[in-house]
Amino acid sequence: MIDEVFNPQELVSTDGSQVAYEVFSSQEIYDLEQERIFRGPVWNFLGLEAEIPNIGDFKSTFVGDTPVVMTRTEDGGLAAWVNRCAHRGAMVCRELRGNATSHNCVYHQWSFDTKGNLLGVPFRRGQKGQAGMPPEFKPSEHNLHQLRVESFRGLVFATFSAETVPLEEYIGTTMGGYIKRVFHKPVEYLGCTRQFANSNWKLYMENVKDPYHASLLHLFHTTFNIFRVGMKAHCETDENHGLHSIIMAIKENQDAEAGADYKEQKIRSYQEGFELEDDSILALIEEFEVVATNHIQPIFPQLVVQQIHNTLVARQLLPKGPDKFELVFHFFGYADDTPELRKLRIKQANLVGAAGYISMEDTEATELVQRGTVRDGAARSYINMAKHQDGQTDTLITEKLIRSFWTGYRNLMGEVATGAGA
Amino acid sequence: MTMWYAVAHESEIEDDTPFATEAKGTPLALFRIGGAIYALYDLCSHGAARLSDGFVEDGCVECPLHQGLIAIATGEPRSAPITEPVTAYPVRIVDGQVEVEL
Repeated sequence: MIDEVFNPQELVSTDGSQVAYEVFSSQEIYDLEQERIFRGPVWNFLGLEAEIPNIGDFKSTFVGDTPVVMTRTEDGGLAAWVNRCAHRGAMVCRELRGNATSHNCVYHQWSFDTKGNLLGVPFRRGQKGQAGMPPEFKPSEHNLHQLRVESFRGLVFATFSAETVPLEEYIGTTMGGYIKRVFHKPVEYLGCTRQFANSNWKLYMENVKDPYHASLLHLFHTTFNIFRVGMKAHCETDENHGLHSIIMAIKENQDAEAGADYKEQKIRSYQEGFELEDDSILALIEEFEVVATNHIQPIFPQLVVQQIHNTLVARQLLPKGPDKFELVFHFFGYADDTPELRKLRIKQANLVGAAGYISMEDTEATELVQRGTVRDGAARSYINMAKHQDGQTDTLITEKLIRSFWTGYRNLMGEVATGAGA
Repeated sequence: MTMWYAVAHESEIEDDTPFATEAKGTPLALFRIGGAIYALYDLCSHGAARLSDGFVEDGCVECPLHQGLIAIATGEPRSAPITEPVTAYPVRIVDGQVEVEL
């Protein structure tokens, strides 16, 4: 068998403007990502603190494709452990969420506390003359694999790596500021939608860093004037590794006349004659200092913070193999919402999620790329919009956030040579 | 209304060895500590295990499943993972018969 050497750095150009399609379908690359990214020096979003407010509350989720449980511990803190029994490897927690002060594996009833420490094992001392565990058995040596956990403004993250910098530093000052814009007061978790897409997780990362597509793919946006090319915009990356980013479409006072401006642009997606029976779905109650119609902020690799009008979401991106990912939309509101505002948030949940008026096309687009590229691993994408004006931040017609993502990805994946069959 | 049920003879209950019995369909675990006899509902409040299969030590019974401790005299939990008490029943001795009230 011939040793096949591959190098992730050859698959992505230095400036991030060209990417070999192989990165979307290769099992080898996918496996390497699990080690170098999801178990590497990053903080992975697990959920909202508001999902587990009480002692013993837990939520079953993933870091990459590793099953992980996050819990509220007896001292009111947060913990996360790999959902794999220390005995024979079965998933210990089989529920999506709940409340428990101990977690028992169904296979042999090994019991663990909220922090993942082993409490006891059946028949440790045997029974009526039958032998139990050997005398050298020490429960403290058989805890579940515990992860580092930190939270920022109520967003809970975990990391496998001891090398990862503290969460606040990982998020960075710039991105931290935008998170604080949305998480500026206590939130309440409202519920979630879940969906699977038959495409690679990085295609979704590209999508949430791509303001160029927003007015072109999403007809609902443009038809009803939520997001237009001419809007005041802000696009920037974090100051450290360029893997996080923000896209904001900012509402300005002169937007009253925006409809007329928009017609003059004659964008193909504008559909005269389309009307909403009930246009309250498009309401925008101003509740932030900077009034934006859209705030889309990926915190690499598992979180996208979203505010679209008055709907607030923490999206979680979970890889499920080279050609599959899961997307969980965690909807939330503020603890001090008026009943009217809360009602509007829930109504506007219809804009996003699996069948969202806006969001539904996104995973259709990522699946089109998956199907279009599967047999052409060596062919490359062309990600050059506004490349000669990379410093520009006040535009929606740019692919610079995607280029920055790929450069950061390239650095994280590093150089590696493996032999197939080795 | 509660009643007293004869569930064992006093001589059957030994130190350090729980005794399994039942009254009116209720499973009971009897324990002797020194001169006194105690009765607990014979099912751990955490896992599905008989306390009568457990180990007696320092006034507690250790559940055979997860080594959680229950105070024999009161049924109160003494260590994780047990958090809920187990019912403790009143016991009296009448002419050498152990009687439990339930």
